[in-house]
Amino acid sequence: MLRYLAAQVFQAALVVIFVTLVVAVMLRFSGDPAVAQFQGASAPTTEQLQQIRRAMGLDQPVGVQYLHFLGGVLRGDFGTSFRGGTPVGSLIRQALPPTLLLALSSLLLSLALSLPLGIYAAVHRGRWADQLIRFFTLLGLSFPNFWLGIMLVLIFGVTLRWLPPSGYEGAASLVLPSVTLGLILTSTTVRLLRASLLDVLSAQYVTVARSKGLSERRVLYKHALRNTAIPVITFIGLQFGGLVGGVVVVEQVFAWPGMGLLALQAISNRDYPVLQGAVTVLALLVVLINLLVDLSYGLFDPRVRME
Amino acid sequence: MSKIKALLVSVALLTSTAAAQGGTLTIATAQDPQSWDPIDTFLVAWGTVAHNIFDGLIIRDADLKLRPGLATAWKYVTPTTLRFTLRQGVKFHDGEAFNAQAVKFTFDRLLGPEGKKGPQQSNYSAIKSVKVVNATTVDFLLSSPDPVLLTKLSGYGAMIVPPKYIREKGDAYFDTHPVGTGPFRFESYAAAQNLKLSAYAGYWGGAPKLSAVTYRFIEEPATRVAELQAGRVDIATAIPVAQAATIKSNSALTLQAISSPTVQALRLNFSHGPTNDVRVRQALNYAVDKDAIIKSILQGYASPISSLQSSKSFGHDPALTSYAYDPAKARQLLAAAGVKPGTSVGIDFIGTDAVFREVAQAVAGFFQAVGLKADLKTYETNTFYSDIIPKNKTSNGYQMGWGGWTFDFDNTAYLLYHSKQFWNPDFVDKKLDALLESQHNLADQKKRLTILRSIAQYTRDQAIDIPLYNQQDLWGVSKRVQGFTAPSDSLLHLQTVSVK
Repeated sequence: MLRYLAAQVFQAALVVIFVTLVVAVMLRFSGDPAVAQFQGASAPTTEQLQQIRRAMGLDQPVGVQYLHFLGGVLRGDFGTSFRGGTPVGSLIRQALPPTLLLALSSLLLSLALSLPLGIYAAVHRGRWADQLIRFFTLLGLSFPNFWLGIMLVLIFGVTLRWLPPSGYEGAASLVLPSVTLGLILTSTTVRLLRASLLDVLSAQYVTVARSKGLSERRVLYKHALRNTAIPVITFIGLQFGGLVGGVVVVEQVFAWPGMGLLALQAISNRDYPVLQGAVTVLALLVVLINLLVDLSYGLFDPRVRME
Repeated sequence: MSKIKALLVSVALLTSTAAAQGGTLTIATAQDPQSWDPIDTFLVAWGTVAHNIFDGLIIRDADLKLRPGLATAWKYVTPTTLRFTLRQGVKFHDGEAFNAQAVKFTFDRLLGPEGKKGPQQSNYSAIKSVKVVNATTVDFLLSSPDPVLLTKLSGYGAMIVPPKYIREKGDAYFDTHPVGTGPFRFESYAAAQNLKLSAYAGYWGGAPKLSAVTYRFIEEPATRVAELQAGRVDIATAIPVAQAATIKSNSALTLQAISSPTVQALRLNFSHGPTNDVRVRQALNYAVDKDAIIKSILQGYASPISSLQSSKSFGHDPALTSYAYDPAKARQLLAAAGVKPGTSVGIDFIGTDAVFREVAQAVAGFFQAVGLKADLKTYETNTFYSDIIPKNKTSNGYQMGWGGWTFDFDNTAYLLYHSKQFWNPDFVDKKLDALLESQHNLADQKKRLTILRSIAQYTRDQAIDIPLYNQQDLWGVSKRVQGFTAPSDSLLHLQTVSVK
């Protein structure tokens, strides 16, 4: 177990180093944080730009800048934003909870919807309910979440006025972004759950269980579901990484002050410290979730526990 | 614990004043400037908020007239000494007294090492130093006369800041907890969410009618409009043209359209063909039907321009006409220049700018109509401004959107047309350089106007660019709001605004 954890931590460190290195290098391919401050308002001289770059520490070679950043991360210091002097750590501390809240609530929502729907569709395979569920999940998959978000805002925020169209002001404002993100997640999870359940239901041990005279209910919940848990949980773990991408779009539509918005803003300002900090934290998060997914296998599969 | 208590007290205070006065106004803007320090940024989104927190020595009103702010009077003692008499009895929101020392501190900071880190310093380079004469008099010693200086002192980097507060709390703290002398005082700031202000009863110009103002940062225009429609926001900035009709048709809302300083042009590159030939540049000007673009794409929310400035700009010449739409003449000029039909002309623009994308497509259509082949290329904003334009990587025509908040043509022409300027990597013209320099430090405004007009004429004759239009800013305003007129410089002064 200890060895497993050590390997995971090592892997996590590698992932973070790789991801931040790619981001740090790619960011510097084009654009200039010093010029970003002047856009369309005033014209900088070369000297002024150099002064600003020096103040930002950009006069040093990229390698040195990156090592400086890594050293800071090890000390738990992400540096300060190029816009004003706000510490990146404090910006992330403000932006992380909204994003986690949104990711978690949309994940829970999608589980609450997709488990019963997926099971029902698999058990009633080929019947009209199955067809209907499959149709709607396909529909759900084809919505871009940006469009879905705007539609939900217009229907529930503007026309019906049941919910706030945007903002971060308590439980009511969580509903629309969670639904937007959750519905898209639901579609894929339902389809995967249905497919893997069907797979399992046609396996030999299920036939054996049935022939032992076990009730269909017991076969389904005791034998079949448990065996579909691993692919589904793996999938949800992977989805979490994808969720981060969805979060960027959804946060923008709903003015949700999370990591996605922070990262977007940092990209357009070329605010290197903020973007590098945000990416590091998001990468760590994805690694952590996958670690949890790995560990959860033991819950469902005794063979994993023994190893 | 003491924090919670303080919070409760301030909440109690807030609610009690809210009951006594005129309620809360909520404004949605498109961007969180991230720092409220006047010298850190150069963003309209900052100006829309911060002129309620801070005052300058001079205030510019919505009609663009200058009036006394923290200074009651000013005069040039010599051509390079500008003397200000300061308003007495003014206090910053934290109780600190405003005086000559505060003015000196503000400009020492702007012109010193702290200002070097930001984009504001270059705007005030004419100021050599600020000298305290006595507690209520300061002299601005100038290295050269700056004819636009008084206007520059009414906005952005010239806002007066509290010395004691900044020295005690530090610059980083001031970024997120601004203190000024303006009609509203800072209450709270939540990054990427909102900024809350409350009325400053001790404002020297009289207490504001509102008791509180909340600014919300909503980047997505459709969401800004939705919040306005839902009645949760009273004023929304930067309404896209496509949503104007939605607001107009809503009985609870009004749409205010005001011509902004921002002009859009297609700048033509001099360093390679075919745009290095003046006949070709003129032909391209004749080829584009600017009025059609204004009418169909901007739905009328723009005005035609003949040079790169709006009609409110100092230097505007009502007698200067733009190139009329004349495709036959364009073809003629192209033929005279030896440009073969089917020659490729590149158009570069910012891909995320939905309106300009349509404009660029229309321009491409007009180019094709005179026998050219238009080649559209899109770029990301920052790459476009820091790499493509200044490093002369543009093709033939490229998007140039410019909006000098000072409404002075020098602020545009000098920076865009003088040789070796950052935004002008390809165009060198000795005659134009001389004209630009002759007015840049000229105190005689009458003479300067004549020169600026001749500069506009010259840029037109040389066809350095295709001036397309002066855009209007669209504001969505709830009918609940009283006494609000959208300002053309987007700098809100909410002191006299109230809500029903």
